[in-house]
Amino acid sequence: MSKLLGRENISNTNEKYRHIYVIIEHFEGQVVPVSLEMLGEARRLMDDFNQKYNSSEKVVAVLLGSKVRKLCDELVTYGADSVIYANHEELRYPRNDIDTRVIVQIAKDVEILKEISPEYESTFVKPRYMFFAADNIGRHLSSTVLAELESGLASDINKLVISDLDIRHEHKTKGQSVKYEKTLEMYRPDFSGFLWTTILCLDNKNPENLREYHPQGCSIIPGAFKPIESDNLRKGTIVEYYPKIDQDLKIKILSRRVIEKKIDYETCKIVVSFGRGIKDNPEQNIKLVEEFAELLDAEIGITLPLSKKPYQLSQNLDSKYMIPDRVIGTSGSKVTPTLYVAVGLSGAIQHVAGMKDSEMVLSINTDENSPIVDESDIFIKGRMEQVIPILIDQIKKQMPSISIRGQ
Amino acid sequence: MLNVGVIIKLEPDFSEGNVSYNSDGTLNRAETKNILGPHSAIACNAAFYCKVKYGAHISIGTMGPPIAESALKQAQVLTDAEELNLYSDRLFAGADTLATAEVLKNGVKNMFGGNKIDIVFSGHRASDGETGQTGPQTAWKLGYTFLGNVIDFDIDLGRKVVIAKRLISLQGMDTIIEEIESPLPVFITIDPSYRSIFNTVSQRLTANKFSKEGREHSEEYTHILRIFDSKKLNLDPKLVGLPGSPTIVYRVEKIPRAKTNRKTEFIDAANPDNLTPITTKIIQILRGK
Repeated sequence: MSKLLGRENISNTNEKYRHIYVIIEHFEGQVVPVSLEMLGEARRLMDDFNQKYNSSEKVVAVLLGSKVRKLCDELVTYGADSVIYANHEELRYPRNDIDTRVIVQIAKDVEILKEISPEYESTFVKPRYMFFAADNIGRHLSSTVLAELESGLASDINKLVISDLDIRHEHKTKGQSVKYEKTLEMYRPDFSGFLWTTILCLDNKNPENLREYHPQGCSIIPGAFKPIESDNLRKGTIVEYYPKIDQDLKIKILSRRVIEKKIDYETCKIVVSFGRGIKDNPEQNIKLVEEFAELLDAEIGITLPLSKKPYQLSQNLDSKYMIPDRVIGTSGSKVTPTLYVAVGLSGAIQHVAGMKDSEMVLSINTDENSPIVDESDIFIKGRMEQVIPILIDQIKKQMPSISIRGQ
Repeated sequence: MLNVGVIIKLEPDFSEGNVSYNSDGTLNRAETKNILGPHSAIACNAAFYCKVKYGAHISIGTMGPPIAESALKQAQVLTDAEELNLYSDRLFAGADTLATAEVLKNGVKNMFGGNKIDIVFSGHRASDGETGQTGPQTAWKLGYTFLGNVIDFDIDLGRKVVIAKRLISLQGMDTIIEEIESPLPVFITIDPSYRSIFNTVSQRLTANKFSKEGREHSEEYTHILRIFDSKKLNLDPKLVGLPGSPTIVYRVEKIPRAKTNRKTEFIDAANPDNLTPITTKIIQILRGK
């Protein structure tokens, strides 16, 4: 065993790429939950990695902002070995251009690496892996950072595995079988919600076009991973980075205002969601769902395919319901109501992931073989056009006082 | 004169009646038609707004096989563009977002004979690929300031700046609208909620005129179509297609279903009376029991 470890150590020493860098997001003084989720997953991956490869690579949180030192300790309690933070008034709010430059500076900075892992300083070039949030900020930031670092990334990931793979690829390996160590398998659910595509970011080992692609980057779906339990006794290195910021900043922020969060799935007891089962008469059927939801004081959700606007609808219904903000699932909201009513939806895995923790699930569907059946406490076999009016009618009769919402 | 570029994509048509799914729920690509993607169409609307309001010239580009011409034609209907560009080469096949951005960068640089483009619009994300990475990566390679999630914008031609509103919505946080200003050139990805609104009578008349012309001109779209291969775009073959792609698709599999603990009760709605116990349960929940 010791011999094996010794060999591993030698092969380890001259690697140019080290650590997982996790790009942290915060808002009004709070760390956005997905950042803690990413730290949790990075922690789990790195613990296994270090054991398997007998190394001491780190989970490095990268934090940009103004007056952000106070957030650093929290990142350590949630799994970061090191926090590199840049504190500057110009970094107060996210701006793609300046944030990209500062993150790239940090990623390539050997001086700062010396402070977090001196043992790797002599050969370090860039991070091994980089995680970003798949949201309004991180999605674009991951794209521009990896473009500047000239490497690859996968978006909207909900599963990660690090492994050694034998790859045979027309270009990457010129058709030969080549071993790739420490490869990040990045799983992303596709638009249908039924398929998982695994993306790899691989160096070109084709003798005609040798090229190294690191870091291996990805953006991670909020809610996909669990944070680790916060531990106040965890120790970490916190290092300040002094960014070089150009005088000529392109984007000026003129104002920021909070708009009322339109859809609140957190406080409502009932969520009614619909899928492609509305297709026989989309306009009428959405109105029917609307009437039902109003009676139940429920919020309305949709499946991912509907956010692609497959139906001709009146502008009012279209802009109110067929929008990404309403999507329940891995690429939308995760809900846990007392009652979840699934109307005319088949139960793609990506949708189920967003509703499976509901207390009770009632589904209405014509197809008793659809996957939603297994996720339901009650499955009503029937057409929504037939079932919902009966339910509305019966509820109104049994409970006349709730027929007018809010009274 | 304002020069506007638009990057578009031919995508599967997800609209009902046109989209076809396999029995396992996956997209049947062979049976599904391709159209100008809905997010690309919104980017076209933003460019058209610039034409009506500021008299902009519009150049549209897409990377794809020869069939992608049809997306350019549809885009011309929406924009009455002056120029359509197809970036097409076997060498581009298998490109990931970085290798695609490399092609689009040189594409934008070649719009209007190499005259500087002031604003490039692209969609929020494609309906099929859904990465949302190509826009920002193209912007970065061009050295243009990138503005994402833009829901509204205006251009100050005198000062050569764009003033834009963008939506920021982070997990568990309040949604905010941020108003920003940036000097031209910029690269904007348009949020799906963007609607171009023409406020004045003269704008509406101009919009109608250009719309009519766009429809007419699209019938003869080949007159303004230019086709570029990698040589004409002066691209390094090692930076495009498979050779220029850091990432590969390693495997595609069905997502396994997690075990469920629910014991399903089946109700047949053929007999409405069967629904009565369900109603009772719903009412219990409503009453907070």
